Amino acid sequence: MPSAPTGNACCDRCADLGGADAGKSDAGKIARRRLLKAAIFRPLEADAPTDPKPDDFDQDDPADLAPTTGFADVAELPRAVSGTILDISPHVLIIGQIGTEQRYTLTPDAIGWRGAPCEPAALRQGDRVVFRLHPSRRNVADRIWANMGRVTGVIIDRSGDSVLVDEGATRKPQVINILPRHMGRIQVRFPNLEPGFLVDIIGVRRGEDLDGVIPATSQPGYPAHALPPPAMVSGHVPDSISGSAVWHEPRDEPPGVLGVAYPALDPDARCAEDAASRRGHGYARMPYLAVGSVLRIRNDCSGKDCLVPVTGCAAIARLFNDRCVNCGTSPRGRIADLTMASFIALGGELERGCFNATMTIGE
Amino acid sequence: MLVKFVQEVQIPILAAMLLGACSAKLLRTVRARSLEAGLGPTALFPVRTRKPLALFICAIEFGLGIGLIVTAGERLYSPAAISVRLGTCLLFLVATSALVELRTTRPDIGCGCFGDFSTAPVSARTLARSALLAGAALATVHVGRIDPPRTAAQSIQVLAILAAELIVIGALSPELGEGLIRLGYSEPCELRNVPVDRTIAALRRSKQWRKLSGMISDDVPADIWRELCWRYVVYPSSHKDREAQLVFAVFLQQRRPTVHSALVDAVTGEPVPFPVNASAERLRPPLTRRILRPLSGKVAAREMAQAAEYPQPDLPLSSDLYLESNTAQDFEIVPLAIMQAEPAGTGRNAEP
Repeated sequence: MPSAPTGNACCDRCADLGGADAGKSDAGKIARRRLLKAAIFRPLEADAPTDPKPDDFDQDDPADLAPTTGFADVAELPRAVSGTILDISPHVLIIGQIGTEQRYTLTPDAIGWRGAPCEPAALRQGDRVVFRLHPSRRNVADRIWANMGRVTGVIIDRSGDSVLVDEGATRKPQVINILPRHMGRIQVRFPNLEPGFLVDIIGVRRGEDLDGVIPATSQPGYPAHALPPPAMVSGHVPDSISGSAVWHEPRDEPPGVLGVAYPALDPDARCAEDAASRRGHGYARMPYLAVGSVLRIRNDCSGKDCLVPVTGCAAIARLFNDRCVNCGTSPRGRIADLTMASFIALGGELERGCFNATMTIGE
Repeated sequence: MLVKFVQEVQIPILAAMLLGACSAKLLRTVRARSLEAGLGPTALFPVRTRKPLALFICAIEFGLGIGLIVTAGERLYSPAAISVRLGTCLLFLVATSALVELRTTRPDIGCGCFGDFSTAPVSARTLARSALLAGAALATVHVGRIDPPRTAAQSIQVLAILAAELIVIGALSPELGEGLIRLGYSEPCELRNVPVDRTIAALRRSKQWRKLSGMISDDVPADIWRELCWRYVVYPSSHKDREAQLVFAVFLQQRRPTVHSALVDAVTGEPVPFPVNASAERLRPPLTRRILRPLSGKVAAREMAQAAEYPQPDLPLSSDLYLESNTAQDFEIVPLAIMQAEPAGTGRNAEP
């Protein structure tokens, strides 16, 4: 299994490794980079206060940390909430969040998912859920995903119906258990469940393991170490890049973060995740960026778009040269590995695994 | 005689093709650190057999290529020469069949004949080339010892045949276009891997650095990051007894990178003017008002144009011609938080 070289950082995604303050300082750094960049390239306005008071600025206040150009507007995009079900009925969902109970109304056409689409009432107390709030009505949910998990990586080992997967240098290896009734469906899209090949499976979390249910994509035909050479980019990199946008579980991120793991972070950022791929670049040739860069990502299927900051590197995503076929056929290559909240905010359906996306850099 | 020349020419061509294919595959293998990488027809076989198969193909190509050269001086119907030439013919026949199968079952992958160059899906041209080479190998079976041309006319004939066949093979080779593209390919700066050390070295050679480095309170950058063609370097500084940060943006190019700088408040991140008095002492502004002359030379002009072509989203200012002033009054008028872009080491290029 690939291991991280000593001294590598975690691309601001290992908040828990550095203590409680690490995440806060990283978030501050991400926001600060935008301010510093703006200071370089934006002239001082004549009427701007040239001597800002330090007391006017609160580093813990998200409003002060937020850059001047807006990120996703919660009033316009669906919000995602996560928590543990305390009680659920056909009309009401009660979840517990950090010692508090929150009550949400379910729309009449609300749909649940727990390995397969189901009625919301079929979900159980204690299920860990992510649900989508109606964009214009607070406390009203219309989609609920229970115990949903996803494992994307390189197969390390296989024993019977269990597959051990390396998800990158900063994550623990994951076990996928594939029940016989799901094996046929998965093997249609993933014929090579052998060490060295890539795998991307959505399923139901059972403790630390994942019960694989749905193939999230079609398996690339090559082993992870034999990524085909990417197409050469001549001239300038286009402003907009199209491809497949996927999502990942919030293992070491706080739930609800709007962010994206980007497949081409500057190699000199020394991301530990880079060690997972051991390659300088992935299949989709994308310009180098840093944690804190801002991308506009558009869901070509729903038409929704928003600005999201880069919060980590997607070293595994760049090994895939798959296409998303949710609405038409996307160009090959994964261009964004979104957090669950971002994916839902952009109108993605988690069980589909991806959406056709267009990304614009540098807004 | 003409037929004999045509037959004789096939041997060096076939040997060159086989050795070239073997070398290209080895090069690809070294780059990808994988033996089975990029070898198209091996995709038809089970995963476990791909590696030995790739090794076998490479070894066969090498062996036959060398064999064709070594047996070129053998007499007619020498067993060694016949074996090598028939073996070559057989190899190309099998390759043609494998490519037909590959085109049917995996139309998305290349033939892998010449490693990285053969990434285009198998086309009729690729099939025709393989069949042509099989025919060429068959034509060499009845060739005896190859002697050099004895007259100038014979030499011209041989060269003409060689050129004609190379043109035909080139026309049937999708790899040729790929190779020509690679020869003239220059990676865009957004995709170029530029080490931080090189950026820091370029920054320290710049005029901006010479002006502003006196304000830096610690040589170790507080933060470094890259976006597209720019790398940002932040140094701790101070301003009116408050902590500040000096931010440099360095355009990632080999020579004379454009450098921008700004002074920001360390707490708020807001830009603040460079201190007027301190700048006179620390920044050592030039004594005369002057305009930086654009860089001379085509390369410099292209690089500067390239820098200007990459306006960042928040960057309306990106001109490389700037005014500098020596008076404190002018320093107050000119927004010095946006220090002027300048090529590194432009002192020589500046004129009063």
